[in-house]
Amino acid sequence: MREPPYPTELRPYGRALVDLARRRDEVLCLSGDLTRQCEVDLFQAEIPERFIHAGMAEANMMSMAGALARCGHIPFVHTFGVFATRRPFDQIANAIAYPGLPVRIIGFMPGVSTPGGPSHQAIDDVALMRTLPNMTVVDVADAVEVRQVAAAVIDLPGPVYVRLKRGEIPVIFDDDHVLRLGQAEVLLPGDDVALFASGMMLAAALAAARALASHAVSVSVINVPTVKPLDTATVRAAAARARVVVSAENHTIIGGLGSAVAETIAEAGLGRPLHRVGLRDTFAEGSLTAPYLFGKYGLSTQALIETIWSALGRPGPPPEAPAAAAESGEYSPV
Amino acid sequence: MSAPVPISAPGTQWTVPDLRELALRIRLRAVRMVAPQGFGYLGQALSSAEQVAAVFATARPGVDRLVCSPGHYVIGPFAAAAELGLLSEDAAAGYGQNGSPVEAIGTERSPVMDYTCGSLGQGLSAALGFALSDRLRGSGARIFTMVSDGELEEGQVWEAALFAAHHHLDRLVVLLDANNSQVDGPVDSITTLEPIAAKWSAFGWHVQDLDGHDPDALAAALAGAAAAAGRPSVLVCRTSTRHGLDCLPPDADGHFIKLPPELAAAAVAELTGKLEARRA
Repeated sequence: MREPPYPTELRPYGRALVDLARRRDEVLCLSGDLTRQCEVDLFQAEIPERFIHAGMAEANMMSMAGALARCGHIPFVHTFGVFATRRPFDQIANAIAYPGLPVRIIGFMPGVSTPGGPSHQAIDDVALMRTLPNMTVVDVADAVEVRQVAAAVIDLPGPVYVRLKRGEIPVIFDDDHVLRLGQAEVLLPGDDVALFASGMMLAAALAAARALASHAVSVSVINVPTVKPLDTATVRAAAARARVVVSAENHTIIGGLGSAVAETIAEAGLGRPLHRVGLRDTFAEGSLTAPYLFGKYGLSTQALIETIWSALGRPGPPPEAPAAAAESGEYSPV
Repeated sequence: MSAPVPISAPGTQWTVPDLRELALRIRLRAVRMVAPQGFGYLGQALSSAEQVAAVFATARPGVDRLVCSPGHYVIGPFAAAAELGLLSEDAAAGYGQNGSPVEAIGTERSPVMDYTCGSLGQGLSAALGFALSDRLRGSGARIFTMVSDGELEEGQVWEAALFAAHHHLDRLVVLLDANNSQVDGPVDSITTLEPIAAKWSAFGWHVQDLDGHDPDALAAALAGAAAAAGRPSVLVCRTSTRHGLDCLPPDADGHFIKLPPELAAAAVAELTGKLEARRA
């Protein structure tokens, strides 16, 4: 793994999807009037015969995608996460999830990664998709995983929801890192705390663990790219070793990663205190920048440090998160 | 779940020698399917019987597709399939019964159709997906899509109508059952849909407005739709949920008809008599 500030990569998904489609004739690309924003302008330019402009009509787009999948195509459907999940939920349920069809729904701009306000912030997409039978839910952490995600999901049984950050993506992992869907991966060992993180919260989780390590708090960081089906064996094992369990997600704390971890440790009878870091049952707001929102809504490295410090009952003030110093083209978590 | 077989499955075969007789047999079969429960979607079979018969008389077995957008209309295609030997007597008798895959509201287990859905307003979009796939693969299959007038209240239908015309999906035919019936009462007492034909025309469709109980008009309109190059077609079929069954009481609720045993017996007698007269 690299150390922050992380280098960034521009639009790794768009290139990877074109490369995949060159190898796999079944791949179709659907876009809901957000073609450049979802990085599929490249697909439209290079493989126009398999690109479908569905327009600003998400219900129709999802139902069409289901029928296309029924015919043996593998549609990758692109729009922002909010529009991919809230508006066409019934269509996804009936035309895609219930028949278990291989539609790949790619929802961009997870959580408060956009300053565009509540209408554009997908804070409940994981929860919505996780409730649907047959649906796999993926939230990857960095550019190395983003590059691999289209190929990793193409042959999974049934539908898949992937939430992806737009634009500049941090490169956290080394280039030889392999995205293994269905598995949670222990990245840092530790005995005091098991810290489960998905998607954009991985960088903050790693930063918090490092800051706490220098104050004799040992944090295990587990990257959870697949929220459903959850790797319950790894979650149980990591939680069992720790005194305190913490989840970190760029999403409401209801229904997403934290809930999935809670269900697992409760069903296992582990009895560990669980602290869910995420949006605390609130909509966020519009702003100038996303980092402001990560700070304001408790999705920061400092918020993780304070949560863990307090959960362990440590005396005195918690350590300070390192300053998020990043030059242009670099990324550091807030 | 094991995939149910649609009429587009290669190797499927049937013939319709007499469209009028098939419409009668759909009505009689539908009465027999609903009778064990004492209530059900008989009105939908009565309003769509000629449309369903016309589709089976026109569609190429094993090639063309059938989409039944309103899931509670599946009784019509089921009845036709049973009469044409595409659905076994046992399967048809299981209509709406516990444990039967022949459910009263269409599901993924439903045989006969390529697509159906109980959540209304979604079938036309599925038909577009089939049309796009067929175009990508160079197939000239037609997609016969049953839509009900009540479904026009769902915005998704109009999303799909825009898309179909923009993409010139001319293999697509909508049979719009304008029976003026929805759960809360006559459609026109709840939402003004008229002028229905002008709406579809404005959306870029080839439109034919006709008596949905006239078999000759339906057959001609389906031929007209096939000849409308570059545009999807809609047949606005003016119908009634009581058509062809005189014994129904005047206050019968067309959306969900009550059919107690005496009325079921009268209906069977009436339709059997009409069928014998036609064959005589």
